[in-house]
Amino acid sequence: MMDVKRIISKIEKDYILSNLKKEERIDNRGLWEYREFQINSDLIASAEGSADVSLGDTRIITGLKYDVGAPFPDLPDEGVCTVMAELLPIASPLFERGPPDEQSIELARVVDRGIRHADCVQTKKLCIKEKEAVYILFVDMYVINYAGNLIDAGGVSALTTLISAHIPEGIWNEEKHETEWTGKYFYGQDIVNELPFVLTYGKIEDIIFLDPSLPEELVCDGKISISVTENKITSIQKSGSATFSIDEIKMLGNKSLEFGKKLRKELNLLQYLAKTK
Amino acid sequence: MPLIIKDEYPEKLFRKDGKRLDGREINELRPIKMEVGVIKNADGSAYLEWGNNKIIAAVYGPREVHPHHLAKPDRGILRVFYRMATFSVFDRKRPAPGRREKEISMIIADCIEPLLFLELYPGTSFEVFIEVMDADGGTRCASTTVAALALADAGVPMKSLVSAVAVGKIDGKIIVDLSGIEDKAGDADLPIAITWYNEEISLLQFDGNMDLEEMNKFLDLAYEALKNIHQIQLDTLKSKYLKLQEETSNPNHKNDNKGE
Repeated sequence: MMDVKRIISKIEKDYILSNLKKEERIDNRGLWEYREFQINSDLIASAEGSADVSLGDTRIITGLKYDVGAPFPDLPDEGVCTVMAELLPIASPLFERGPPDEQSIELARVVDRGIRHADCVQTKKLCIKEKEAVYILFVDMYVINYAGNLIDAGGVSALTTLISAHIPEGIWNEEKHETEWTGKYFYGQDIVNELPFVLTYGKIEDIIFLDPSLPEELVCDGKISISVTENKITSIQKSGSATFSIDEIKMLGNKSLEFGKKLRKELNLLQYLAKTK
Repeated sequence: MPLIIKDEYPEKLFRKDGKRLDGREINELRPIKMEVGVIKNADGSAYLEWGNNKIIAAVYGPREVHPHHLAKPDRGILRVFYRMATFSVFDRKRPAPGRREKEISMIIADCIEPLLFLELYPGTSFEVFIEVMDADGGTRCASTTVAALALADAGVPMKSLVSAVAVGKIDGKIIVDLSGIEDKAGDADLPIAITWYNEEISLLQFDGNMDLEEMNKFLDLAYEALKNIHQIQLDTLKSKYLKLQEETSNPNHKNDNKGE
Protein backbone atom coordinates (compact mmCIF):
# COMPACT_ATOMS: atom_id res chain seq x y z
CA MET A 1 0.00 0.00 0.00
CA MET A 2 1.15 3.50 -0.66
CA ASP A 3 1.65 5.91 2.17
CA VAL A 4 -2.03 6.67 2.66
CA LYS A 5 -2.73 7.79 6.20
CA ARG A 6 -5.58 9.30 8.08
CA ILE A 7 -3.31 11.53 10.10
CA ILE A 8 -0.05 13.14 9.08
CA SER A 9 2.73 13.30 11.64
CA LYS A 10 3.83 16.63 13.11
CA ILE A 11 7.21 16.22 11.43
CA GLU A 12 5.64 15.70 8.02
CA LYS A 13 3.33 18.65 8.54
CA ASP A 14 6.31 20.87 9.45
CA TYR A 15 8.14 19.59 6.39
CA ILE A 16 5.22 20.44 4.08
CA LEU A 17 4.84 23.85 5.73
CA SER A 18 8.52 24.79 5.65
CA ASN A 19 8.60 23.85 1.97
CA LEU A 20 5.53 25.96 1.23
CA LYS A 21 7.15 28.91 2.99
CA LYS A 22 9.97 28.64 0.47
CA GLU A 23 7.28 28.50 -2.23
CA GLU A 24 8.08 24.85 -2.86
CA ARG A 25 5.85 21.78 -2.72
CA ILE A 26 6.71 18.25 -1.64
CA ASP A 27 6.05 17.08 -5.21
CA ASN A 28 8.25 19.83 -6.69
CA ARG A 29 5.40 21.96 -7.99
CA GLY A 30 5.17 25.72 -7.69
CA LEU A 31 2.44 27.26 -5.52
CA TRP A 32 0.19 27.96 -8.52
CA GLU A 33 0.77 24.84 -10.52
CA TYR A 34 -1.61 21.99 -11.32
CA ARG A 35 -0.60 18.37 -11.43
CA GLU A 36 -0.99 16.92 -14.90
CA PHE A 37 -4.48 16.33 -16.29
CA GLN A 38 -5.10 13.22 -18.37
CA ILE A 39 -8.43 12.88 -20.13
CA ASN A 40 -10.14 10.05 -22.00
CA SER A 41 -13.68 10.47 -23.23
CA ASP A 42 -16.60 8.30 -24.33
CA LEU A 43 -15.09 5.07 -23.02
CA ILE A 44 -18.28 3.58 -21.54
CA ALA A 45 -20.43 1.99 -24.26
CA SER A 46 -23.55 1.81 -22.06
CA ALA A 47 -23.45 5.49 -21.12
CA GLU A 48 -24.66 8.42 -23.23
CA GLY A 49 -21.36 10.18 -22.57
CA SER A 50 -18.39 9.50 -20.29
CA ALA A 51 -14.97 10.63 -19.20
CA ASP A 52 -11.99 9.18 -17.37
CA VAL A 53 -10.04 12.06 -15.86
CA SER A 54 -6.81 11.86 -13.89
CA LEU A 55 -5.29 14.80 -12.01
CA GLY A 56 -1.94 13.47 -10.89
CA ASP A 57 -2.87 10.22 -9.11
CA THR A 58 -6.46 11.30 -8.46
CA ARG A 59 -8.75 9.54 -10.91
CA ILE A 60 -12.48 9.91 -11.53
CA ILE A 61 -14.68 8.07 -14.05
CA THR A 62 -17.94 9.83 -14.89
CA GLY A 63 -20.86 8.67 -16.98
CA LEU A 64 -24.05 10.24 -18.29
CA LYS A 65 -27.47 8.60 -18.29
CA TYR A 66 -30.80 10.16 -19.14
CA ASP A 67 -34.43 9.65 -18.34
CA VAL A 68 -37.58 11.35 -19.58
CA GLY A 69 -39.88 12.71 -16.93
CA ALA A 70 -42.21 15.52 -15.99
CA PRO A 71 -40.62 18.97 -15.50
CA PHE A 72 -40.69 20.91 -12.24
CA PRO A 73 -43.96 22.92 -12.07
CA ASP A 74 -42.08 26.23 -11.76
CA LEU A 75 -39.82 25.47 -14.75
CA PRO A 76 -42.25 23.80 -17.19
CA ASP A 77 -40.03 24.11 -20.27
CA GLU A 78 -36.65 23.20 -18.79
CA GLY A 79 -34.91 19.86 -18.43
CA VAL A 80 -32.93 18.86 -15.37
CA CYS A 81 -29.25 18.02 -14.91
CA THR A 82 -28.20 16.36 -11.67
CA VAL A 83 -24.73 15.50 -10.42
CA MET A 84 -23.94 12.61 -8.08
CA ALA A 85 -20.58 11.54 -6.68
CA GLU A 86 -19.50 8.33 -5.04
CA LEU A 87 -16.20 7.86 -3.22
CA LEU A 88 -15.65 4.20 -4.02
CA PRO A 89 -13.95 2.07 -1.38
CA ILE A 90 -11.47 0.95 -4.06
CA ALA A 91 -10.14 4.52 -4.21
CA SER A 92 -8.56 4.78 -0.78
CA PRO A 93 -8.38 3.01 2.59
CA LEU A 94 -9.88 6.25 3.93
CA PHE A 95 -13.17 5.60 2.13
CA GLU A 96 -15.76 3.27 3.54
CA ARG A 97 -18.73 1.56 1.97
CA GLY A 98 -22.17 2.88 2.54
CA PRO A 99 -24.44 5.77 1.68
CA PRO A 100 -22.83 9.04 0.51
CA ASP A 101 -21.00 10.89 3.28
CA GLU A 102 -20.35 14.62 3.65
CA GLN A 103 -17.28 14.59 1.45
CA SER A 104 -19.00 12.96 -1.53
CA ILE A 105 -22.04 15.20 -1.16
CA GLU A 106 -19.83 18.29 -1.09
CA LEU A 107 -18.01 17.09 -4.20
CA ALA A 108 -21.26 16.56 -6.07
CA ARG A 109 -22.78 19.84 -4.85
CA VAL A 110 -19.80 22.03 -5.69
CA VAL A 111 -19.43 20.52 -9.17
CA ASP A 112 -23.19 20.78 -9.67
CA ARG A 113 -23.32 24.43 -8.66
CA GLY A 114 -20.33 25.26 -10.86
CA ILE A 115 -22.23 23.86 -13.83
CA ARG A 116 -25.69 25.10 -12.86
CA HIS A 117 -24.85 28.76 -12.39
CA ALA A 118 -22.56 29.06 -15.39
CA ASP A 119 -25.15 28.78 -18.15
CA CYS A 120 -23.36 25.55 -19.08
CA VAL A 121 -26.20 23.09 -19.76
CA GLN A 122 -28.94 24.62 -21.90
CA THR A 123 -31.85 23.20 -19.93
CA LYS A 124 -34.41 24.72 -22.33
CA LYS A 125 -32.99 22.48 -25.08
CA LEU A 126 -33.72 19.47 -22.87
CA CYS A 127 -37.46 20.09 -23.15
CA ILE A 128 -39.46 17.67 -25.30
CA LYS A 129 -42.93 19.09 -24.56
CA GLU A 130 -43.70 21.93 -22.20
CA LYS A 131 -45.34 20.80 -18.94
CA GLU A 132 -45.27 17.15 -20.13
CA ALA A 133 -41.85 15.70 -20.86
CA VAL A 134 -38.28 16.83 -20.37
CA TYR A 135 -34.92 15.11 -20.27
CA ILE A 136 -33.40 14.45 -16.88
CA LEU A 137 -29.63 14.07 -17.14
CA PHE A 138 -27.69 12.15 -14.52
CA VAL A 139 -23.99 12.94 -14.34
CA ASP A 140 -22.59 10.30 -11.99
CA MET A 141 -19.00 10.57 -10.80
CA TYR A 142 -17.08 7.60 -9.39
CA VAL A 143 -13.78 8.26 -7.63
CA ILE A 144 -11.37 5.48 -8.63
CA ASN A 145 -8.21 6.69 -6.85
CA TYR A 146 -8.00 9.43 -4.23
CA ALA A 147 -4.87 11.56 -4.11
CA GLY A 148 -6.32 14.95 -3.21
CA ASN A 149 -8.42 17.67 -4.90
CA LEU A 150 -11.41 15.65 -6.05
CA ILE A 151 -13.36 18.81 -6.82
CA ASP A 152 -11.21 20.11 -9.68
CA ALA A 153 -10.83 16.65 -11.21
CA GLY A 154 -14.58 16.11 -10.80
CA GLY A 155 -15.36 19.43 -12.48
CA VAL A 156 -13.32 18.57 -15.56
CA SER A 157 -14.72 15.03 -15.54
CA ALA A 158 -18.36 16.18 -15.40
CA LEU A 159 -17.78 18.81 -18.07
CA THR A 160 -16.01 16.40 -20.44
CA THR A 161 -18.84 13.91 -19.92
CA LEU A 162 -21.45 16.50 -20.92
CA ILE A 163 -19.38 17.55 -23.93
CA SER A 164 -19.08 13.93 -25.09
CA ALA A 165 -22.87 13.43 -24.80
CA HIS A 166 -24.88 11.61 -27.48
CA ILE A 167 -28.49 11.32 -26.44
CA PRO A 168 -31.40 9.80 -28.42
CA GLU A 169 -33.67 12.53 -29.77
CA GLY A 170 -37.30 12.36 -28.71
CA ILE A 171 -40.33 14.22 -30.05
CA TRP A 172 -43.77 14.55 -28.54
CA ASN A 173 -46.60 12.58 -30.10
CA GLU A 174 -49.72 14.62 -29.43
CA GLU A 175 -52.18 11.80 -30.23
CA LYS A 176 -50.57 9.09 -28.13
CA HIS A 177 -49.57 11.62 -25.50
CA GLU A 178 -46.09 10.18 -25.19
CA THR A 179 -42.49 10.66 -26.31
CA GLU A 180 -41.37 9.00 -29.54
CA TRP A 181 -37.79 8.34 -30.61
CA THR A 182 -36.71 9.72 -33.95
CA GLY A 183 -33.72 7.39 -34.27
CA LYS A 184 -31.41 10.42 -34.35
CA TYR A 185 -29.16 11.78 -31.63
CA PHE A 186 -28.33 15.18 -30.24
CA TYR A 187 -24.86 15.94 -28.99
CA GLY A 188 -22.74 17.85 -26.51
CA GLN A 189 -22.54 20.91 -28.74
CA ASP A 190 -26.35 21.12 -28.75
CA ILE A 191 -26.65 21.40 -24.97
CA VAL A 192 -23.35 22.76 -23.61
CA ASN A 193 -22.75 26.50 -23.83
CA GLU A 194 -20.30 27.96 -21.30
CA LEU A 195 -17.42 25.82 -20.01
CA PRO A 196 -17.03 26.38 -16.26
CA PHE A 197 -13.84 25.32 -14.50
CA VAL A 198 -13.55 24.95 -10.76
CA LEU A 199 -10.24 25.77 -9.08
CA THR A 200 -9.45 24.68 -5.54
CA TYR A 201 -6.87 26.27 -3.28
CA GLY A 202 -5.56 25.02 0.03
CA LYS A 203 -4.51 27.26 2.90
CA ILE A 204 -2.02 26.53 5.69
CA GLU A 205 -1.34 29.37 8.11
CA ASP A 206 -1.05 32.33 5.71
CA ILE A 207 0.09 30.37 2.67
CA ILE A 208 -2.30 29.68 -0.20
CA PHE A 209 -1.64 27.23 -3.03
CA LEU A 210 -3.45 25.69 -5.99
CA ASP A 211 -4.51 22.02 -6.36
CA PRO A 212 -3.75 20.50 -2.93
CA SER A 213 -2.41 16.94 -3.06
CA LEU A 214 -3.55 14.38 -0.48
CA PRO A 215 -0.87 15.08 2.19
CA GLU A 216 -1.45 18.82 1.73
CA GLU A 217 -5.19 18.32 2.02
CA LEU A 218 -4.73 16.38 5.26
CA VAL A 219 -2.62 19.06 6.92
CA CYS A 220 -4.22 22.21 5.50
CA ASP A 221 -6.45 24.44 7.62
CA GLY A 222 -9.01 24.80 4.90
CA LYS A 223 -9.79 25.05 1.23
CA ILE A 224 -11.63 27.32 -1.13
CA SER A 225 -13.10 26.31 -4.49
CA ILE A 226 -13.91 28.97 -7.08
CA SER A 227 -15.81 28.22 -10.29
CA VAL A 228 -15.22 30.50 -13.24
CA THR A 229 -16.44 30.86 -16.79
CA GLU A 230 -14.61 32.89 -19.43
CA ASN A 231 -15.15 36.23 -17.65
CA LYS A 232 -17.21 35.59 -14.55
CA ILE A 233 -17.03 33.94 -11.17
CA THR A 234 -20.05 31.68 -10.81
CA SER A 235 -19.68 29.81 -7.57
CA ILE A 236 -17.51 29.78 -4.44
CA GLN A 237 -17.24 27.26 -1.65
CA LYS A 238 -15.06 27.71 1.39
CA SER A 239 -14.53 24.64 3.51
CA GLY A 240 -12.47 23.74 6.53
CA SER A 241 -11.59 25.95 9.47
CA ALA A 242 -9.26 28.36 7.65
CA THR A 243 -10.24 32.00 7.34
CA PHE A 244 -9.43 34.18 4.35
CA SER A 245 -8.86 37.93 4.35
CA ILE A 246 -10.81 40.14 1.96
CA ASP A 247 -7.62 40.86 0.03
CA GLU A 248 -6.91 37.16 -0.29
CA ILE A 249 -10.37 36.51 -1.74
CA LYS A 250 -9.89 39.36 -4.22
CA MET A 251 -6.52 37.96 -5.20
CA LEU A 252 -7.94 34.43 -5.61
CA GLY A 253 -10.85 35.69 -7.72
CA ASN A 254 -8.36 37.35 -10.02
CA LYS A 255 -6.10 34.30 -10.16
CA SER A 256 -9.04 31.97 -10.79
CA LEU A 257 -10.10 33.89 -13.90
CA GLU A 258 -6.52 33.80 -15.12
CA PHE A 259 -6.03 30.07 -14.40
CA GLY A 260 -9.48 29.30 -15.81
CA LYS A 261 -8.47 30.86 -19.13
CA LYS A 262 -5.27 28.86 -19.10
CA LEU A 263 -7.05 25.56 -18.39
CA ARG A 264 -9.68 26.28 -21.03
CA LYS A 265 -6.91 26.67 -23.59
CA GLU A 266 -4.65 23.83 -22.46
CA LEU A 267 -7.32 21.17 -21.98
CA ASN A 268 -9.29 22.21 -25.09
CA LEU A 269 -12.25 20.15 -23.92
CA LEU A 270 -14.24 20.69 -27.12
CA GLN A 271 -11.98 18.11 -28.76
CA TYR A 272 -13.98 15.50 -26.81
CA LEU A 273 -17.24 16.11 -28.65
CA ALA A 274 -18.81 12.81 -29.71
CA LYS A 275 -17.98 11.85 -33.25
CA THR A 276 -21.19 12.28 -35.21
CA LYS A 277 -22.03 9.48 -37.59
CA MET B 1 -22.06 4.97 -28.82
CA PRO B 2 -24.95 2.67 -27.90
CA LEU B 3 -25.99 0.29 -30.66
CA ILE B 4 -29.67 0.41 -29.82
CA ILE B 5 -31.95 3.24 -28.78
CA LYS B 6 -34.66 1.04 -27.34
CA ASP B 7 -33.99 -1.94 -25.09
CA GLU B 8 -35.22 -4.53 -27.60
CA TYR B 9 -33.70 -7.64 -29.11
CA PRO B 10 -33.45 -8.97 -32.64
CA GLU B 11 -35.45 -12.08 -33.53
CA LYS B 12 -32.49 -14.08 -34.75
CA LEU B 13 -29.25 -14.30 -32.81
CA PHE B 14 -27.25 -15.78 -35.69
CA ARG B 15 -26.34 -14.01 -38.89
CA LYS B 16 -26.98 -15.51 -42.31
CA ASP B 17 -23.35 -16.70 -42.53
CA GLY B 18 -23.85 -18.77 -39.36
CA LYS B 19 -21.82 -16.45 -37.15
CA ARG B 20 -23.13 -14.69 -34.06
CA LEU B 21 -24.38 -11.09 -34.19
CA ASP B 22 -20.97 -9.71 -33.23
CA GLY B 23 -19.23 -11.94 -35.78
CA ARG B 24 -17.99 -14.62 -33.39
CA GLU B 25 -17.94 -18.38 -33.89
CA ILE B 26 -19.94 -20.41 -31.38
CA ASN B 27 -16.89 -21.22 -29.22
CA GLU B 28 -15.12 -17.89 -29.59
CA LEU B 29 -14.48 -15.54 -26.65
CA ARG B 30 -14.84 -11.79 -26.93
CA PRO B 31 -11.54 -9.83 -26.91
CA ILE B 32 -10.09 -9.82 -23.38
CA LYS B 33 -7.61 -7.32 -21.99
CA MET B 34 -6.26 -7.40 -18.43
CA GLU B 35 -4.00 -5.16 -16.43
CA VAL B 36 -2.79 -5.24 -12.82
CA GLY B 37 -1.74 -2.47 -10.43
CA VAL B 38 -4.20 0.10 -11.80
CA ILE B 39 -5.09 1.66 -8.43
CA LYS B 40 -2.11 3.08 -6.59
CA ASN B 41 -3.79 3.35 -3.19
CA ALA B 42 -4.87 -0.29 -3.07
CA ASP B 43 -2.84 -3.27 -1.84
CA GLY B 44 -3.65 -4.96 -5.12
CA SER B 45 -5.81 -4.11 -8.10
CA ALA B 46 -6.73 -5.23 -11.58
CA TYR B 47 -8.64 -3.96 -14.59
CA LEU B 48 -10.45 -6.13 -17.08
CA GLU B 49 -11.94 -5.31 -20.44
CA TRP B 50 -13.95 -8.24 -21.74
CA GLY B 51 -15.86 -7.25 -24.84
CA ASN B 52 -17.74 -4.16 -23.70
CA ASN B 53 -17.44 -5.09 -20.02
CA LYS B 54 -15.10 -2.80 -18.13
CA ILE B 55 -14.42 -3.82 -14.54
CA ILE B 56 -12.03 -2.58 -11.87
CA ALA B 57 -11.22 -4.64 -8.78
CA ALA B 58 -9.17 -3.61 -5.75
CA VAL B 59 -8.03 -5.55 -2.69
CA TYR B 60 -7.40 -4.13 0.78
CA GLY B 61 -6.01 -6.43 3.42
CA PRO B 62 -5.18 -8.15 5.56
CA ARG B 63 -6.56 -5.33 7.70
CA GLU B 64 -8.62 -4.75 10.82
CA VAL B 65 -12.24 -5.81 10.54
CA HIS B 66 -15.00 -3.18 10.59
CA PRO B 67 -17.43 -3.75 12.23
CA HIS B 68 -15.35 -5.50 14.83
CA HIS B 69 -17.83 -8.24 15.76
CA LEU B 70 -17.40 -9.85 12.31
CA ALA B 71 -13.78 -10.75 13.10
CA LYS B 72 -13.05 -14.42 13.77
CA PRO B 73 -10.45 -15.27 16.40
CA ASP B 74 -9.11 -18.34 14.58
CA ARG B 75 -9.08 -17.17 10.96
CA GLY B 76 -9.33 -14.23 8.61
CA ILE B 77 -12.46 -13.42 6.67
CA LEU B 78 -12.94 -12.63 3.00
CA ARG B 79 -15.50 -10.03 2.00
CA VAL B 80 -16.43 -9.29 -1.59
CA PHE B 81 -18.45 -6.28 -2.69
CA TYR B 82 -19.66 -6.36 -6.28
CA ARG B 83 -21.20 -3.08 -7.45
CA MET B 84 -22.36 -1.68 -10.75
CA ALA B 85 -22.01 1.95 -11.76
CA THR B 86 -25.29 3.74 -12.47
CA PHE B 87 -24.26 4.26 -16.10
CA SER B 88 -23.00 0.71 -16.73
CA VAL B 89 -26.37 -0.56 -17.98
CA PHE B 90 -29.08 0.50 -20.45
CA ASP B 91 -31.51 1.99 -17.90
CA ARG B 92 -29.74 3.96 -15.20
CA LYS B 93 -29.23 1.71 -12.19
CA ARG B 94 -30.22 3.09 -8.82
CA PRO B 95 -27.09 4.09 -6.91
CA ALA B 96 -27.78 1.98 -3.80
CA PRO B 97 -26.75 -1.71 -3.97
CA GLY B 98 -29.63 -4.00 -4.84
CA ARG B 99 -30.46 -7.64 -4.13
CA ARG B 100 -28.75 -8.83 -7.31
CA GLU B 101 -25.48 -7.14 -6.36
CA LYS B 102 -25.56 -8.64 -2.88
CA GLU B 103 -26.19 -12.13 -4.23
CA ILE B 104 -23.39 -11.89 -6.77
CA SER B 105 -21.02 -10.55 -4.11
CA MET B 106 -21.78 -13.62 -2.05
CA ILE B 107 -21.32 -16.20 -4.79
CA ILE B 108 -18.02 -14.59 -5.84
CA ALA B 109 -16.81 -14.66 -2.22
CA ASP B 110 -17.79 -18.34 -1.96
CA CYS B 111 -16.00 -19.02 -5.22
CA ILE B 112 -12.72 -17.38 -4.21
CA GLU B 113 -12.54 -18.39 -0.55
CA PRO B 114 -11.24 -21.94 -1.14
CA LEU B 115 -8.16 -20.43 -2.81
CA LEU B 116 -6.97 -18.47 0.23
CA PHE B 117 -5.18 -19.55 3.42
CA LEU B 118 -7.48 -17.59 5.71
CA GLU B 119 -6.43 -19.65 8.75
CA LEU B 120 -3.07 -17.82 8.59
CA TYR B 121 -4.70 -14.42 9.20
CA PRO B 122 -6.77 -14.65 12.41
CA GLY B 123 -8.76 -11.56 13.34
CA THR B 124 -8.30 -9.78 10.01
CA SER B 125 -10.22 -9.30 6.80
CA PHE B 126 -9.46 -9.23 3.10
CA GLU B 127 -11.81 -6.95 1.25
CA VAL B 128 -12.29 -7.23 -2.48
CA PHE B 129 -14.18 -4.37 -4.11
CA ILE B 130 -15.40 -4.95 -7.65
CA GLU B 131 -16.75 -1.99 -9.59
CA VAL B 132 -18.45 -2.69 -12.91
CA MET B 133 -18.07 0.48 -14.96
CA ASP B 134 -19.56 -0.86 -18.18
CA ALA B 135 -21.65 -4.03 -18.46
CA ASP B 136 -22.46 -6.19 -21.46
CA GLY B 137 -23.30 -9.69 -20.25
CA GLY B 138 -21.24 -12.05 -18.14
CA THR B 139 -20.20 -9.54 -15.48
CA ARG B 140 -20.25 -12.08 -12.64
CA CYS B 141 -17.78 -14.29 -14.52
CA ALA B 142 -15.62 -11.35 -15.53
CA SER B 143 -15.74 -10.05 -11.94
CA THR B 144 -14.61 -13.38 -10.52
CA THR B 145 -11.75 -13.50 -13.00
CA VAL B 146 -10.58 -9.96 -12.25
CA ALA B 147 -10.99 -10.39 -8.47
CA ALA B 148 -8.61 -13.36 -8.51
CA LEU B 149 -6.13 -11.27 -10.44
CA ALA B 150 -6.36 -8.38 -7.95
CA LEU B 151 -5.77 -10.76 -5.03
CA ALA B 152 -2.69 -12.16 -6.76
CA ASP B 153 -1.50 -8.61 -7.45
CA ALA B 154 -1.87 -7.84 -3.74
CA GLY B 155 0.54 -10.69 -2.99
CA VAL B 156 -2.09 -12.62 -1.04
CA PRO B 157 -0.98 -16.29 -0.84
CA MET B 158 -3.29 -18.34 -3.05
CA LYS B 159 -3.47 -21.99 -4.03
CA SER B 160 -4.07 -20.93 -7.61
CA LEU B 161 -6.08 -18.51 -9.69
CA VAL B 162 -9.71 -18.99 -10.59
CA SER B 163 -11.21 -18.24 -13.99
CA ALA B 164 -14.87 -17.96 -14.94
CA VAL B 165 -16.94 -17.88 -18.12
CA ALA B 166 -20.58 -18.26 -19.10
CA VAL B 167 -21.78 -20.81 -21.61
CA GLY B 168 -25.31 -20.83 -22.91
CA LYS B 169 -27.80 -21.70 -25.59
CA ILE B 170 -29.20 -19.37 -28.25
CA ASP B 171 -31.52 -20.42 -31.06
CA GLY B 172 -30.93 -24.03 -29.97
CA LYS B 173 -27.13 -23.84 -30.38
CA ILE B 174 -24.63 -24.05 -27.58
CA ILE B 175 -22.27 -21.06 -27.39
CA VAL B 176 -19.44 -19.75 -25.22
CA ASP B 177 -19.26 -16.32 -23.55
CA LEU B 178 -22.70 -14.77 -23.97
CA SER B 179 -22.88 -11.08 -24.78
CA GLY B 180 -25.55 -8.87 -23.20
CA ILE B 181 -28.06 -9.39 -26.03
CA GLU B 182 -27.41 -13.16 -26.16
CA ASP B 183 -27.85 -13.38 -22.42
CA LYS B 184 -31.20 -11.57 -22.41
CA ALA B 185 -32.66 -13.09 -25.57
CA GLY B 186 -31.10 -16.56 -25.30
CA ASP B 187 -32.56 -19.78 -23.89
CA ALA B 188 -29.99 -20.80 -21.30
CA ASP B 189 -27.12 -19.34 -19.32
CA LEU B 190 -24.60 -21.24 -17.22
CA PRO B 191 -21.83 -19.28 -15.49
CA ILE B 192 -19.03 -21.53 -14.33
CA ALA B 193 -15.68 -21.02 -12.58
CA ILE B 194 -12.77 -23.41 -12.15
CA THR B 195 -10.15 -23.21 -9.40
CA TRP B 196 -6.98 -24.38 -11.06
CA TYR B 197 -5.18 -25.97 -8.08
CA ASN B 198 -7.66 -28.86 -8.16
CA GLU B 199 -9.39 -28.14 -11.49
CA GLU B 200 -12.76 -28.20 -9.78
CA ILE B 201 -15.84 -26.09 -10.18
CA SER B 202 -16.21 -23.38 -7.58
CA LEU B 203 -19.02 -21.28 -9.07
CA LEU B 204 -21.98 -22.73 -10.88
CA GLN B 205 -25.39 -21.34 -11.64
CA PHE B 206 -27.90 -22.21 -14.32
CA ASP B 207 -31.05 -20.71 -15.73
CA GLY B 208 -32.88 -22.21 -18.67
CA ASN B 209 -33.36 -25.80 -19.72
CA MET B 210 -30.98 -28.47 -20.99
CA ASP B 211 -30.86 -32.23 -21.39
CA LEU B 212 -28.02 -34.37 -20.09
CA GLU B 213 -26.17 -34.44 -23.40
CA GLU B 214 -26.29 -30.65 -23.56
CA MET B 215 -25.02 -30.35 -20.03
CA ASN B 216 -21.98 -32.46 -20.85
CA LYS B 217 -21.30 -30.28 -23.87
CA PHE B 218 -21.71 -27.09 -21.80
CA LEU B 219 -19.10 -28.28 -19.33
CA ASP B 220 -16.61 -29.42 -21.99
CA LEU B 221 -16.87 -26.16 -23.94
CA ALA B 222 -16.51 -24.11 -20.77
CA TYR B 223 -13.39 -26.03 -19.74
CA GLU B 224 -11.68 -25.29 -23.06
CA ALA B 225 -12.56 -21.58 -22.88
CA LEU B 226 -11.43 -21.32 -19.26
CA LYS B 227 -7.97 -22.64 -20.14
CA ASN B 228 -7.53 -19.69 -22.48
CA ILE B 229 -8.74 -17.19 -19.88
CA HIS B 230 -6.41 -18.66 -17.27
CA GLN B 231 -3.48 -18.23 -19.66
CA ILE B 232 -4.31 -14.52 -20.14
CA GLN B 233 -4.43 -14.09 -16.34
CA LEU B 234 -1.03 -15.74 -15.94
CA ASP B 235 0.51 -13.71 -18.76
CA THR B 236 -0.81 -10.48 -17.24
CA LEU B 237 0.75 -11.24 -13.86
CA LYS B 238 4.01 -12.37 -15.40
CA SER B 239 4.32 -9.27 -17.54
CA LYS B 240 4.04 -7.12 -14.41
CA TYR B 241 7.06 -8.83 -12.86
CA LEU B 242 9.00 -8.84 -16.12
CA LYS B 243 8.48 -5.09 -16.28
CA LEU B 244 9.65 -4.70 -12.67
CA GLN B 245 12.70 -6.81 -13.41
CA GLU B 246 13.53 -4.66 -16.42
CA GLU B 247 13.20 -1.47 -14.41
CA THR B 248 15.31 -2.62 -11.49
CA SER B 249 18.04 -4.20 -13.62
CA ASN B 250 18.44 -0.92 -15.48
CA PRO B 251 21.22 0.96 -13.62
CA ASN B 252 19.91 4.35 -14.77
CA HIS B 253 16.45 3.89 -13.34
CA LYS B 254 15.28 6.56 -10.96
CA ASN B 255 14.23 5.57 -7.50
CA ASP B 256 10.94 7.42 -7.23
CA ASN B 257 9.74 5.72 -4.09
CA LYS B 258 7.27 8.17 -2.63
CA GLY B 259 7.68 6.86 0.89
CA GLU B 260 11.02 8.60 1.14
